[in-house]
Amino acid sequence: MIAGRVIGEVWATKKAPGLVGRRLLLVSVDGEDRVMIAIDTLDAREGQAVLVAPGSGGRNVIQPGPDNRAVLCDAAIALLRDDLPEES
Amino acid sequence: MILGRVVGEVWATRKHATLEGRKLLVIAPRYWYAPSHECGHLVAVDPVGAGIGEEVVVCVGDPARRAAAQAWGEALVNLPIEAAVMAIVDRVELAPVGERGARPLRTVGDQR
Repeated sequence: MIAGRVIGEVWATKKAPGLVGRRLLLVSVDGEDRVMIAIDTLDAREGQAVLVAPGSGGRNVIQPGPDNRAVLCDAAIALLRDDLPEES
Repeated sequence: MILGRVVGEVWATRKHATLEGRKLLVIAPRYWYAPSHECGHLVAVDPVGAGIGEEVVVCVGDPARRAAAQAWGEALVNLPIEAAVMAIVDRVELAPVGERGARPLRTVGDQR
């Protein structure tokens, strides 16, 4: 799991059929300079601290079970953190 | 997935049979993303139909291969693909600086 913070949203009309209807959020990784895009199913808001599940774990967030390999996702927001204090 | 910009196209005559007629794009990531290649650029196949200069969402790993297989109707196991363009970005909405956490956003490379 990757700890991060939602810093924005990406809008796209033309996309792969498997991504239609998915909300794509820009997440900046805590303590690092990098930014990733994660699929959001939890309705995270901008500024929200989150944990991102990378790889096949992200697929399980979107559709649990062993038969979910067709889900096109390499990272998904797995939970919204509310217990950690703001980074200062 | 990562946010990137299409900066070029790769042409090759001799290539894997499943890549015949497929467009290969050079992608410069918009933000640092801990690449496995030092230069940070990557080559992605393009099932969506992006052009040079466009902002795109690039998927890395197994879902990239699946997306290409779905788009091309190829058998999944045959595709030697690790990155694919998944979406062409219309708009990126960024949170106000105060909501982005402690670290400033670091962009990579030439940002046009």
